[in-house]
Amino acid sequence: MAKYLIKRFLYMIFVFFIVSILMFAITKAVPGDPALKMVNPNLASTDPARYQIALEEARESLGLDQPLPIQYIKWMGNTLTGNFGFSIQYKKPVIDVVGTPMLNTVALNLFSLILVFAITIPLGIISAVKKRSVFDQAVQVGSIIGYSLPVFVTAFVFIFLFALKLPIFPISGTATPGSDYTGLAKFGDYMYHMALPLIVSTFCSLGGILRYVRAAMIDALREDYIRTARAKGLREKVVIYSHAFRNALIPIVTIITSWFVSIFGGSVVIESIFLWNGLGNTLLSALRNLDSALYMAMMMFYVVITLLGNLLMDIAYCIADPRVKLQ
Amino acid sequence: MKKMLALLMALSMTTAVALTSCGESSGDSPKDSTESTTSTESTDEESSGETTATTGGQIVIGSVTDVDADMFPGWTTSAENMSIFRLLYGYTTVDYTKDFTYEYDPQVVTAHEEIENEDGTKTFKMTIADDLVWSDGTPITAKDYVFGIMLNSSKEMGDLEADTSTGADYVGYEEWNSGESDTFTGLNLIDEHTFSVTVKADKLPYHYEITYASVTPYPMFKLAPDCDITDDGNGATMSEGFTTELLSQTIADTETGYRYNPTVVSGQYTFTSYDASNYEAVLTINDKFKGTWEECYKPSIEKIVIKKVNAATAMDELAAGTIDLYAGVSGGTEINKGLDLYDQGKVSYANWSRSGYGKLQFHCDVGPTDSTAVRQAVSYILDKNEFAKQYTGGYGKLVYGAYGLSQTEYKANKDKIETELNKYEYNLETAKEVLIADGWTLNANGGEFVEGTDDVRYKKMEDGSLQPLVIKWACTPDNPVVDLLNTMLVPNAPLVGMKIEPTVMDFNQMLTELYTPGSEYNMFNLATGFYPTIAPWYYYTTDTSYWGIYNNNMISDDQLAKVTDEMRYLVDEDEWNAKWLEYQKRFNELCLDIPLYSDIYHAFFTPKLQNYVPDGMHQWDQTLLYAYIDENATEVTATQGE
Repeated sequence: MAKYLIKRFLYMIFVFFIVSILMFAITKAVPGDPALKMVNPNLASTDPARYQIALEEARESLGLDQPLPIQYIKWMGNTLTGNFGFSIQYKKPVIDVVGTPMLNTVALNLFSLILVFAITIPLGIISAVKKRSVFDQAVQVGSIIGYSLPVFVTAFVFIFLFALKLPIFPISGTATPGSDYTGLAKFGDYMYHMALPLIVSTFCSLGGILRYVRAAMIDALREDYIRTARAKGLREKVVIYSHAFRNALIPIVTIITSWFVSIFGGSVVIESIFLWNGLGNTLLSALRNLDSALYMAMMMFYVVITLLGNLLMDIAYCIADPRVKLQ
Repeated sequence: MKKMLALLMALSMTTAVALTSCGESSGDSPKDSTESTTSTESTDEESSGETTATTGGQIVIGSVTDVDADMFPGWTTSAENMSIFRLLYGYTTVDYTKDFTYEYDPQVVTAHEEIENEDGTKTFKMTIADDLVWSDGTPITAKDYVFGIMLNSSKEMGDLEADTSTGADYVGYEEWNSGESDTFTGLNLIDEHTFSVTVKADKLPYHYEITYASVTPYPMFKLAPDCDITDDGNGATMSEGFTTELLSQTIADTETGYRYNPTVVSGQYTFTSYDASNYEAVLTINDKFKGTWEECYKPSIEKIVIKKVNAATAMDELAAGTIDLYAGVSGGTEINKGLDLYDQGKVSYANWSRSGYGKLQFHCDVGPTDSTAVRQAVSYILDKNEFAKQYTGGYGKLVYGAYGLSQTEYKANKDKIETELNKYEYNLETAKEVLIADGWTLNANGGEFVEGTDDVRYKKMEDGSLQPLVIKWACTPDNPVVDLLNTMLVPNAPLVGMKIEPTVMDFNQMLTELYTPGSEYNMFNLATGFYPTIAPWYYYTTDTSYWGIYNNNMISDDQLAKVTDEMRYLVDEDEWNAKWLEYQKRFNELCLDIPLYSDIYHAFFTPKLQNYVPDGMHQWDQTLLYAYIDENATEVTATQGE
């Protein structure tokens, strides 16, 4: 196991550097001059000479005047020491930009993850056990609808229903405008504003997982050891939860692990519609504004998270199924 | 949090690696101030009784652009932050009046003197009122004004990546800005309430000359607490200790720095909070604010919340009451949604003409759009009236030159503009005529162009080569203007022997092409504004070193350059307006842009917001000074602006 982990870590380092070179090359190939974002555009019409000087200074300060290999080495060196650079869009260090969005994204995704699995696992099991019943068919139809509808359609329908027709939830934001709540009241207000994006996010994710759990359970219930367990006279609950579900867990673990990784991935659509200030929007905005330091830092973060997630998934497999050995 | 994030990211990587007056009521009630310029109608017959402005209430302003954390000028150019700056940073010596002129604010400047110096420089000497105080009660002195210029022109601020061009027009700027000298020779601290600024000779005369005397105070006791400014007669000298390290603590520190938390301000409002998570800034009325202009205007609204809204749901937010004001709405679809709410009695509205327009802009340095005739022909083949109607849904007008309908220059020349400029009415035959007259009469083989047989016209160039009439258009994705042009302009091109080739690209890439002389692209879809000042002498200079960001039409026309250069030095308003008309005529003749639409902007707001009368030359923050909150108001109003 230890040998395997060391090999995997070496492999991850190799992949990390390859991806970083590719990312850097793609970033540099993007047309546009990031230095333009650093200079006050009003200066162009009031003092062109000063504007030109400011532009040159900005290029120098961003290191754009140096050869590409030097730029890469400097960027990588800084990144590895925790200096992720300066955001030209926000005019401050990248680390100061991503804090709030990361917190919001993790909060929304974590609650959504909990809700999705809290709903889909019992529902999937019941659906599998009551296969082809009215209940199962209703769940199937519901899950297909949730799975098929584009997120933005679901979001607007839910806004129309729960914010306009039945004004239960606020339309956007993370807090009541102008409120000065503290402590629990602040948290309550935050959760109240999270409700609608959370419901939409959860609703849109139910279909896929539900069908996955159901299929895994149906497969498990067909196995010989289930027939044996029933023949032994075990109670149906024990058969389902101790024998079938434990075996069905193996493929589900894969899904849970990959979802855990996605906790850090923001949904651009949900964040944009509900103005939930998260990482998805931040990344999109960085790309649109040629904020290379910001999006490079975020992309490399995702690369690392994905590599670690894959490793975590393999280890989780091992734990869920003792037959699997890491070699 | 910052450290945790750094650790998390680094760890993960390294694992792999009122309107109240000064003391007494001014007598100029909020309602009085609007009636002279607008016509107001009410959905009901008459407003029930007069309402007087009292200080209080809260307004939530919905903005589709981000409000960022910067509460200090120099870093951000966000429009909403600019509005916030105007509310936080007050007592500017020369400011923009509601009558569209720059004037000394009599509440701030008690005496001023303009001195023409022998070396061609000009000194603006100002004495500030002795009753100006910061929001914490500390007196504002001339030193705070001098400090404001020195700070925002300093090398130290430049080291923090801030814009440091504030004092660039004053003598001695370069030496101070480069860090070469600790004295800014063009600034003089005369006494506790008097200071002067001396403008470089090469910046004079200048049409907007009075703006050189526009100075805003900055709280030196907060930003550079252990520093001092002295003046031995040779300029303002900063004491030792004014360093980048000091400013990174007092200004740039993300937790306590003035950039993010301006605790002491001079403006109408004080800073209360910024919530990055909710894209929201909160300002509270500054009860120490003295007032502004002769009438001593003071704000009436107690609390202002600026909150980001999604354009798709902004009207819903207004209907739900989560925002109170949604300003600058354009496009038929959105405006009609707002008007539906007005019809339902839920919101009031006001509209005004935009000081700018959407346009197709040409590059004039490479063919075929280096030919005026070709540019004119493109204009002739687009039905601009129909385009404007379709794009704006009827809430827009056409303009024929480089102006907006709310510009004072346009108002002064309105009749002549409407009658003397070429409107380039849609006419395919005229388009053909101008092309033929310009020599676009050949086909690809050099023979005569035959309509119906040949696709594209060619012209024989001086070197004997044939140039095709193919226009390369750099356009942006997901843009309704582009979509409409693709159906209303591009299909008409072949009808006159022209071909327009659209290339969709990211906006940043389009800007790069726009700023590149000799770019392969001839045409760009953009929008432009003329608020509050214009500088055409830079935009149309024939000096090619200015081509790109300044002259991005890449036009070299001596007549246009001469006219616009002369404008710069005109101080007299009538002369300026007359010269401006000349500039418009030449611009129109050269057809450097095809103006497509000039919107009629709308502001929609809840009935509690009273006396909100916007115009094209002021932003919401400037308009809000004269507005007030009446929580009991239920009647909706419609204000048709100019």
